[in-house]
Amino acid sequence: MARSLSPIGVQQDLSGRIFDIQSYSVHDGPGCRTLVFLSGCPLRCEWCANPEGLENRVRTLFRVMKCINRTQDCTRCIPKCPHQAISISDEKEIPLAIDWEKCRHCESHECVDACLQEAFVPASRDMKVSELMKIFDRDRHYWSGKGGATFSGGDPMYQKDFLQAVLKECRNAYIHTAIETSGFFPQETYLTTMKYVDFAFNDLKHMDSDKHKEKTGVPNELILANIAALAQSDWPGRLVLRSPVIEGFNDSKENMAAIAEFMHSVGLTEFNLLPFHRLGDSKWKSCGMVYPYSMYEATPPEKLEALQKVLLDLGIKAYVGSDTPF
Amino acid sequence: MARKLVDVLEEQGMSLNLQAGGEAPKEMVDREVKEGATERAAKLKDIYLQTLSSVTCEFPYWYNRVFQANEGDIMEVRRGRALKAGFEHLTPSIYPGELLVGAKTQYYRGSFPMPWLSEGFFMAKEDELYQAALASGSASADQVSAYGAGGGNVTESFGNVVSIAGKYGIRKDEVRVLTKLAREWVGKSVDDVGHRYEQMVPEYPIKEAVMRSLICMFDSGYTLPQGREVINYFYPLQYGYDGLIKMCEEGIAETAGRPDGDGIIGMSRLYFYEAVKLVLEGIQTWHLHYADEAKRLAATEKNAKQKKEYEEIAEIMEHIAHKQPRNFREALQMIYMVHMASVNEDAISGMSPGRIGQVLWPWFEQDMEAGRITEAEVLELLECYRVKMTCIDCFASMGVVGGVLSGNTFNNVCLGGLTRDGQPAANRLEMLLLEAGMTCQTTQPTLSVLYDDKLPEEFLLKAVECEKSGTGYPAWMNNRGGIEFIMKNYGPEGMNLEDARAFSIGGCLETSPGIWKELELNGKKYWIPGGAGQPTSVGVHFISNPKVLEMVLTNGYDRRIDLQVLPPHNKTFKTYEELYEQFLEYYDIVIDCLVTTNNIQHDVWRKHNMSLVNSFLKPDCLAKGQHIGNMGYRYNATYNIEDTGTINMVNSLYNIKKLVFEDKKYTLEELTDALINNFGFKNADEIGSFSLEAQEKRDDDDGRYDQIHADCLRSFKYGNDIPEVDGILAEFEDWYCGCGDKYESLYAKPFYVCQMSVSTHAPQGAATLASADGRLSGTTFADASMSAYPGTDRNGAYALFESATCWDHSRSQNSQMNLKLHPNAVKGIEGSKKLLDLTRSYMRKGGFHIQFNIVDSKVLKDAQKHPNNYRDLLVRVAGFTQYWVEIGKPIQDEVVARTEYEGV
Repeated sequence: MARSLSPIGVQQDLSGRIFDIQSYSVHDGPGCRTLVFLSGCPLRCEWCANPEGLENRVRTLFRVMKCINRTQDCTRCIPKCPHQAISISDEKEIPLAIDWEKCRHCESHECVDACLQEAFVPASRDMKVSELMKIFDRDRHYWSGKGGATFSGGDPMYQKDFLQAVLKECRNAYIHTAIETSGFFPQETYLTTMKYVDFAFNDLKHMDSDKHKEKTGVPNELILANIAALAQSDWPGRLVLRSPVIEGFNDSKENMAAIAEFMHSVGLTEFNLLPFHRLGDSKWKSCGMVYPYSMYEATPPEKLEALQKVLLDLGIKAYVGSDTPF
Repeated sequence: MARKLVDVLEEQGMSLNLQAGGEAPKEMVDREVKEGATERAAKLKDIYLQTLSSVTCEFPYWYNRVFQANEGDIMEVRRGRALKAGFEHLTPSIYPGELLVGAKTQYYRGSFPMPWLSEGFFMAKEDELYQAALASGSASADQVSAYGAGGGNVTESFGNVVSIAGKYGIRKDEVRVLTKLAREWVGKSVDDVGHRYEQMVPEYPIKEAVMRSLICMFDSGYTLPQGREVINYFYPLQYGYDGLIKMCEEGIAETAGRPDGDGIIGMSRLYFYEAVKLVLEGIQTWHLHYADEAKRLAATEKNAKQKKEYEEIAEIMEHIAHKQPRNFREALQMIYMVHMASVNEDAISGMSPGRIGQVLWPWFEQDMEAGRITEAEVLELLECYRVKMTCIDCFASMGVVGGVLSGNTFNNVCLGGLTRDGQPAANRLEMLLLEAGMTCQTTQPTLSVLYDDKLPEEFLLKAVECEKSGTGYPAWMNNRGGIEFIMKNYGPEGMNLEDARAFSIGGCLETSPGIWKELELNGKKYWIPGGAGQPTSVGVHFISNPKVLEMVLTNGYDRRIDLQVLPPHNKTFKTYEELYEQFLEYYDIVIDCLVTTNNIQHDVWRKHNMSLVNSFLKPDCLAKGQHIGNMGYRYNATYNIEDTGTINMVNSLYNIKKLVFEDKKYTLEELTDALINNFGFKNADEIGSFSLEAQEKRDDDDGRYDQIHADCLRSFKYGNDIPEVDGILAEFEDWYCGCGDKYESLYAKPFYVCQMSVSTHAPQGAATLASADGRLSGTTFADASMSAYPGTDRNGAYALFESATCWDHSRSQNSQMNLKLHPNAVKGIEGSKKLLDLTRSYMRKGGFHIQFNIVDSKVLKDAQKHPNNYRDLLVRVAGFTQYWVEIGKPIQDEVVARTEYEGV
C-alpha cells in the first residue's frame, strides 16, 4: 500500500459545497484537468448552463425523465415528503407537481431516499478541503505535465474561504490551478484569491454596464476594475477573458470593438468566444425553473467566425470554443 | 486583408503548438481531414464490402482424398501429403488492380471447413448430424449466439447458393461433397476421438453440464486449436522455400535412424522433416500456380498497364516460390502468402503477423536508400495488404464465430516496443502502417501499439491521430507490463530479457512470447522479431464469473436448463467469507474439469492433426526436428484460463457482502429469490434488447422487488475508486492470477490467466440469471475485463483507472479496458495530446491495455436503425475492430450503452 504524503492528524479543514466534479476535462485550461464546480454565483445570467449551481444551498433536483409515476403509478415519494410539497400533476409533461417554495428550506430530502428511480437527487454535496485534495492527489497521475485543477461553478469565488484554502493546498502540493469566474467580487477578495491561481478565465459578457445588468443582474464596473487591477499587477498568471455569444445581446461588432479597446488599455490579449448551447435546458426544468433561453438556437459557426475575425483584426488573440492553444 | 489567429499568435511570438514541448509533426497539422485510400485500394476494398463469405470444398476434397489414400503411413507424413495436395489444388484467382495476390481459396473472401477437426457443426440444420450435435453440450453456445442479428454479413440461401452455419454461402452442387466428406470423418475427427477419451475423465459429467449451462463458452481442442499467437516469417524470408527444402533434406540425412539420445521422440524427426518437405513443395506449387495464372491473364490483357502488372506478379510469384525476396514488395507478398499457408492448415483465428514494421524493415530500408521505391508506393502496397488481410475468413461454428469472435479473425499487427538492445523500436515503416490504417480503414490487420515511455512523441501522436480517425485501432498495450509477464511466465523455459523484448500481441490482446533472429539481406544484418511460442487462449475458455456465483446461490443448479450442474454444496452461509470460499471452490471444480478434458482434446489434435506449416515457421522446430505437438517451439507454457464478466461478479459480491452480511437488510434467500424472479422484469430476449436501460417490467409484477433492485443498483460500484469495492477485485485477482499454477497442460506446464471478454459477455450474459449488482437476466455483462458496467462509472475516467489498477496486471496475460469517447473530447492537435496524456497515464499506473471508441452514441443508434447507410462504420468491440453491421445485436446494444466520456 502506497503511503500518503499529506500531514498526519487533524488539520483545519473547511467544508465547501460542490455540485459536480469532472475528470479528464480537456477544455478548461491547459492539459488534462479535474474540474470542480462550486455552488453559488453573484450573477443571474438568463442563459446559465448550470442553474443548479446558482445558489449556495443543497437543492433537490427532480429529473422528470426518470419518474415512473405516469407509467407505473408510483407515488412512493408523496407521503414521505414532510412538507407536503409533492402532488400528482395535471400537466401533460410533468407527472408530479412540486411546490418549490416549500422545497426551498428543506434540509432532509426524504424524497431522495424514497425514489428508487433516482428521479430526486441532491444537486450538491459538502466536501472538506482534505477530501478534495485526496481526489486531486489521485487524479494528478493522469493530468500529465500541463494539467491541474480548475474551479468553476456557479462562481467559485462565491465560497472564497473554502476556495482560498483549497488553492493554498494546491500551491503547497505543486498543483497547477485554474479558475473560471465572473470577477464580480470585492477587489480584495478577487486579488487575494488570484494570488493562488495560475490561470484565470474571467467572463466579460458585455462592455455596456446597463446591458450587462439587464441580462446578468449586475453592472460591470466592478468586473472591469478587477480585471484591470489584475492585469496591471505583478500577478504572474495567465488571464484569458471570455464570453458566451448571446444572440441579440453581446454579438455585435460594436461590443467586440469595445472589448478589444478595453483589453488593449489594460494590456490583455487573449479572448475566448464560447458558443451558446442549450444543454442546460433540462437542468432548469429539474430545478423547477423556467429557462428563458429554451427557444434559442446554438450559436452558428459562421457567427463565431465573424466575431473572431473582428477581434483578430483588432489585434486580439480570439479563440472559438475549445479550439484554443491550451 | 483579414488576419488569422495564427498570424496574431506569430506576432506575439506564440505558435499554436507552443504548449506541447516542441513542434508537432508536420503531417499532423493538415491531418484533421480524413483522407481516402488510393484509387486501387479503394476499389479492392469496395469489392470486399460487396462480397459475401463463401465456402468451398476444393481444399478439403483433395486433403481428404490423399489422406485416405495414404492410410497406414506415419501420421505426420500422411498429413503432410494431404496438406500438399490441398495447396496444389487451390485454384488461383487474381483480380484486376491487385498488387498483392493470393487468398485462402479461389474466392475473394473464402474459407473452407475441416471435417477432420470437427465434422458435426457445419452440417446444415436439417441434417441429422447437426441435430445430434445439438444434443451434446458443445452446441449450446450456438443456441444463444444469434449470428448476424446486427444486420449484416449473413449469407442467406439464394439461387444456387445455400446458407451454411448461419453465415457462409456454398454452391448448391458442393453441398453433397461437403456432406459426404463430413460423413467420412464421423467418429474419426479430433472432436469425436477427443470426445471418446474425454469421457474417461472421472469429472466428465460435470464438464458436460458446465458446457451446457454456458459456465464455459467452448472447447478449444477442435474449434480453433491454433491462433492467438504470433507467427514467425523469418525462415522463408531468410532462406526462401528452396533453402527450407534443403534444410529438410539435410535433416532427413542427419536424423534418419538416429534417436540422438532421445528414446521417445528422437526417431520422429525423420518423419517431421519428410512431412515438412512435402508441405513446402505443395506451397511452392501453389505460388507457381499464381505465376501461371498471372501469365495467362497477361497474355489476353489488352490494357498495357494492367498487362505489365500481371507480368510483374508472375515474376514475383515465381521468384518467391523459391528464393529470398529481393525487395519490399516481394517481402510483403511473401509474408502474406506465408500467412495464408498458415491459416489454411488448421481452423485458426488470431494468427497475428506481429511486428511486421520491424520484420520488413531491411527491405524497406534498402529499397528506400537505393531509390527503388517511394513512400507513396509503400503506402499503396500497405493499403492493398489491409484489404487482403481483411478478406481472411475463418470457418468455425456459429457459436465460435458469432458468439466469441463477432466474425473477426484477429490478425494483430504490433507497432513500437523496444529493440533487442532496449532502444525504441518504432520506425518509419510503422509510421506508414499507421497511415495506411487511416487511409484504408478496414478491420484487418488491427493495430496495437506496444506503449513504452521511451517511444518517440511523434510516433505516439501519429498513433493517436490514427485512433482519432474512428477506427478503434491502435489499441494500446503496456510494453513494460508485457515484458514483466513474459519474463515471469517463460523464465522457467529460459526466457531472457532480450527475447522478452521481442514479445508481441497474438489475437486481440494475448501477450505472446517472441524471439529475435538475425536476418541477412545483401550482406547487411538485422535482428528481426517473431513469434516463438505455442498458441495461446487454448485450454480453459471463458469461464463466466457471474454464472459461477449464480451457482453458489442456487446450490449448483442451473434454472435456465433445469440441470444440477455443479455438486450441491448444501451450505447455509453465516459469513461473506464462507460464501466467497464456496465461490472459489466451485471455480476450481469448473477449471479442473475443463483442464483435463481439453488436455485430451489437444492431445488428440497433436497426434492426428499436428501443425506442419506453423511448425516449420517458428523456432526451433526446424532445428529440433520436432513439430509443436512434440514441443518443437521454444516456449510451451502457453495454455491459459480465460474468464468473462469479472466486473459484474465484483459488484455482485460487494452487494452480497454489504446488503446481506453487513447491513443485514436482506437475507441471502430473499436476494436469491429476487434474482431468480429477475427483479420483476421480463427476460431480455423477450424485449429484443440486451442492455439494461431497455428492459421492461413483467405485466404481473407487483413491485415487490423494487426496493431490493434499487438497493442493488444504487450501491457502490467498481470504477469509482471506492476501496471497499475495488478491494473485492484485488482479492479475486490475487487468487485468480495464481490459480493457474495448480493445473498442468498436456505439455506439463502450468496455466496462467487471460482476461478479456472478446464477445463472450453477450452470449454468456444471455445464459445468466439476474445478478446481485442489479443486472437483469439475459442481459450482456460489462465488456472487457476492466471496463465498468455501463453507466456505473460516475466519477470520471481517473476514478475508473484508479479502480482498474488496484492489482498487478503483469501477473495476468492481459487485462482489458475499453473507453468510449465523444469526438469532441479529442478535437484538434491539443485533443490528440490530451488523449495521449490519458493513455500514457493509464499505462504508467500499470494498466495493461486500453482502447478507445471515438464515436458519438447517436451515430451508433442511427446505424442500428439504418444499417445500409453504415456498411463501413467501424467500432471497437473488445480487443478488435469490427464493421458495425457484422456484429450481433447484443454486442451492439452493449457498445451503445457504454459510458461515453465527453470531456466537455
